[in-house]
Amino acid sequence: MPVTNFEKSTPPVLVCYCTNITAKALLASLLLGPMVASAQSASGAAEPLGFYGFSHEIPEVLTTTRLRQPKTRVPGTTTVIEGEMIRDLGIMSLVEVFRLVPGMVVAEVGSNTPVTTYHGTVHYEQRRMQVLVDGRTAHRATLSDMDWQTMPVPLELIERIEVSRGPNSAAYGINAFLGTINIITRNPADTAGAEMRVVRGSRNYIRTFASVGDTSENYDWRLAYEKRKFGGFDYQLDGDERVPFHNGHDINTFNYDSRLKVNSGFNADIRLGVVDGINEEDRDKNGELGATGNPDIDVRDYYLQTQLNFTTSQNHFFHFQMSFENYDRRQSWPVSIPESAVDCLANGVLVFHQPNLPLCFQPGGTPLIADINADSEDSRLEFELQDTLLFSDDLKLVTGLGFRKDTYRSETFFNGRGNNYQSRIFGNLEYTPVTWLTLNGGGNWERTTTTDEGYFSPRVAANFTLSNNHALRFVYSTAVRTPDGFEQNPDYGFTLRNVRPGQYAAYEGYRVESTAIWQHPNLVTLGRHLEEERIVSREISYFGLFPMSTGQISLEVRVFKDKLRDMISGVIQFDDWSIDNNVDLDQQGVEIEAAIEYPGTTIRASYGYLDQDGWYSGPQIYNDDGSINNHEKQYNVELLGRMSVRHSGSLALIQDLPFGLKGSTAYYWADKFRNSRFERIDFRLAKRIFQPRYSAELALTVQHYVNEEPDMSRANNIEDQNQIFLEAGIRF
Amino acid sequence: MKDKVLFIKRDVIPVVKFLTAAKVCAFITIIMLVAPLAVLAEHNGKSPVYLVGSGNRPLDDHMRTLLEKELENPKDLTVITAEQAVLADGGPIVTIGPAAFSRIRQANRNASVLALLVEPDFLEPFARHSSGQISGVYHGASLLRQALIGKAILPQATRIALISTTGSAELYEELIDQLPAYNLEARLFVVDDEKQLIPTLNRALSYGDFLLAAPDKAIYNPRTIKHVLLTAYRRNRIVVGPSRAYVKAGAIASGYVPFPAIAQMAATYLQTLHETGKFPEPDYPREFRTEINEQVARSLNIPLATQEQITRSVERRMKNTGGPGDE
Repeated sequence: MPVTNFEKSTPPVLVCYCTNITAKALLASLLLGPMVASAQSASGAAEPLGFYGFSHEIPEVLTTTRLRQPKTRVPGTTTVIEGEMIRDLGIMSLVEVFRLVPGMVVAEVGSNTPVTTYHGTVHYEQRRMQVLVDGRTAHRATLSDMDWQTMPVPLELIERIEVSRGPNSAAYGINAFLGTINIITRNPADTAGAEMRVVRGSRNYIRTFASVGDTSENYDWRLAYEKRKFGGFDYQLDGDERVPFHNGHDINTFNYDSRLKVNSGFNADIRLGVVDGINEEDRDKNGELGATGNPDIDVRDYYLQTQLNFTTSQNHFFHFQMSFENYDRRQSWPVSIPESAVDCLANGVLVFHQPNLPLCFQPGGTPLIADINADSEDSRLEFELQDTLLFSDDLKLVTGLGFRKDTYRSETFFNGRGNNYQSRIFGNLEYTPVTWLTLNGGGNWERTTTTDEGYFSPRVAANFTLSNNHALRFVYSTAVRTPDGFEQNPDYGFTLRNVRPGQYAAYEGYRVESTAIWQHPNLVTLGRHLEEERIVSREISYFGLFPMSTGQISLEVRVFKDKLRDMISGVIQFDDWSIDNNVDLDQQGVEIEAAIEYPGTTIRASYGYLDQDGWYSGPQIYNDDGSINNHEKQYNVELLGRMSVRHSGSLALIQDLPFGLKGSTAYYWADKFRNSRFERIDFRLAKRIFQPRYSAELALTVQHYVNEEPDMSRANNIEDQNQIFLEAGIRF
Repeated sequence: MKDKVLFIKRDVIPVVKFLTAAKVCAFITIIMLVAPLAVLAEHNGKSPVYLVGSGNRPLDDHMRTLLEKELENPKDLTVITAEQAVLADGGPIVTIGPAAFSRIRQANRNASVLALLVEPDFLEPFARHSSGQISGVYHGASLLRQALIGKAILPQATRIALISTTGSAELYEELIDQLPAYNLEARLFVVDDEKQLIPTLNRALSYGDFLLAAPDKAIYNPRTIKHVLLTAYRRNRIVVGPSRAYVKAGAIASGYVPFPAIAQMAATYLQTLHETGKFPEPDYPREFRTEINEQVARSLNIPLATQEQITRSVERRMKNTGGPGDE
């Protein structure tokens, strides 16, 4: 036994010695890892997995085809506005960012409701651009216009905004008719820490932002809150008299964004958000049926979104996205209906029809007092599967499937609830057969129950590139826009509640149908089946980067010729419903975007020229006497030109100044909205403080409205042409 | 008690036997170690140069071949192990990589050691403590060169973001003083703990036109580099440095010194030692090259000159400003 013990005790010493050597060798190899890699590379051995393993996470232009592509390979012109530029220029609301995009204009309609569009068309109910926030469709589900005031996107959280200019149905489906806006918020990993910013300014502008978050190996998260409060325009005109304008808003948004990293091949983005607040509406602008109070909108929206990202290899990845959005709007106001009008309703006389006005609106009598509402609740459930396959650096394929269910609930707009369904399949192939040529071919096939038809929207493009810095693109694309649920299947009527005095008790719960009050019954198109709008777009564009010894110039020029057919024009109002596929448009023009970057200086310019010809192409419209109503036809054509300004653009300068100051100025103009020209010059001076453990910023922004005349509407008036904003922010 | 004695006996016997065996082993080992060194010592009048490899055979062989080319007599170079260094009195020892250097320092504190393929933050404390006896040839590019590579890629850049720990802040001190001569300025953002890395990086990216990464393993290591690069690229900021390996990982560029230049400078240092008895201070070779990642540049829409053009631009700026490139 002792001998055995002795023999047993010896080997561990040797083993220990050998292990020690092995450990040292291992340590040496670890410490020398990078050098070994270099040596291997120098000897021509295979490159270690590195950048290429996560290159798909690096942002390039991704909106246009859903592939991440450098601008030289993108099949179309795409404007990218960095979040930092938005903040440096002192932009005070999200929608104003789009003044920087060539061909886009921004205006306010109704009670200070912001609208923006690329290549114009109508001013109300803007619905011809697809708008996405982190891949989630952002326009309302059924009354499918955009509500920019309640977008749950604080300016501080914008990473960048990509605007794909031109039809993009090939990638995003039937709403990407004139273009696509993709708002990409900052990755929660990039906002770890705490930030707070307060902004106060003219017209009771208040914006408070706060965020807190953290990042770790497996979980990044951020919780953000923003309050936006604004008084809106100062006054409106009643004749020549200035009267108060009730058009502000007070909106609160809460966002939770996170990324859960399960393993190197799988992670999940989870986002939640709530929007709550009041959007003020003036009774003279939006009240129906003789409003006696302001029909303010109580906003109660929320969304849930998750995207499961799978990376099976460095050349293959796919994601599955599910989102649910709910837009709950409560809007009620008191009305006072003259006794004579009640009598007209009771007797089936069209209340607002011109010949009936003397009869239906007689002075005296006891008016019917009631409350009515325009409450609505829209929901959108959306699924999407997208697969990206990189065969090589020169051959890339993205494909996907999508399904969307829109649900609408409104007693006023639909007299109940209903659903629309859309399903689609899409794909894009990027192929670079030779270094100087990249070809893109893509398309989207989609079926929607709003028209019960299927549509295919293709896009083909050839990019001729030179030395990675210059590209000449030729793009052909088509797209459709289908009417939304409200355009196609409205059932419009206000239900009277809390009816008083007692003599009208029988009217409690009575639904005043739009069919009972038509203003122009001979123009009504209600019940007519609407077809899709169609666009064929041809683009020649150039993108170039010019490096200089002390900076660089980038230049992008887009020349386009678009044919828009069967456009839906007309009026959507309670007492007027005249929309139809009745206008054709030809649009052509040129757009330029250029930037010069010098040390400490950035100059950026954008310009858009739009030449639009339109003509009536719908069914004949007759007057009451049987003659052709050319006025109405022309009116329908003009409606599609309200936002189609001939010249628009911006010029911005951002300059580093001594003493840690940063200055910027920007000039925006749009010429012209009907009879007015929008011009504004912004100035911003910021003091930035960078300390090892915190950063802070103090800034003063002045907006100078060049023209005294209001733009778009004569109600959009401000007292002082100089608007002042102060802001302070700190980040840890 | 009886049991206890028996227990002691059982333990002592193997130990005694082991010690005897160990003595024999040690004797044989010493003979094996000394024999080749004794032969070498007699080879010529000049002290031999000993080379201790990194353990990476292709790299060691490559460096040995380059050194042999540079030395007057290739036979002056002898490859030894760290254990043999105990007896390598008189002759300078060239080490490849930090691990080899550390082993030699543990084995023989009196030896003159020339460290190759090491970084300043690693070697400087030793070189400062044993000036003339310990020196080295750095294998990366100096931070100033890295900064100017960034400037060459992004000519409009004026501000450089730097991140360090409290302990590694001194890495950047010299650079921060040098930059104003090149119309550049830098600011250091200090990370106290790992959790602060990304928040601090975000603030740094708000300041700088690009991020300059030094060979600071506390900040830039395989575990953090992906987060650093992605955070920077999402902010449209490029990352320069710290080494070629990081360019493969996604940094847009890094300067590096080609191995022949390292070997050439090592030979010069050995010659100086031979003539003066002291090594010059550790330094970077004058010659350097630039590694670039074209895919990153393309992704960020940055027009990228060729590697040679970037290198020449850096050399020109340094020459015009009278910097180290004009040595």
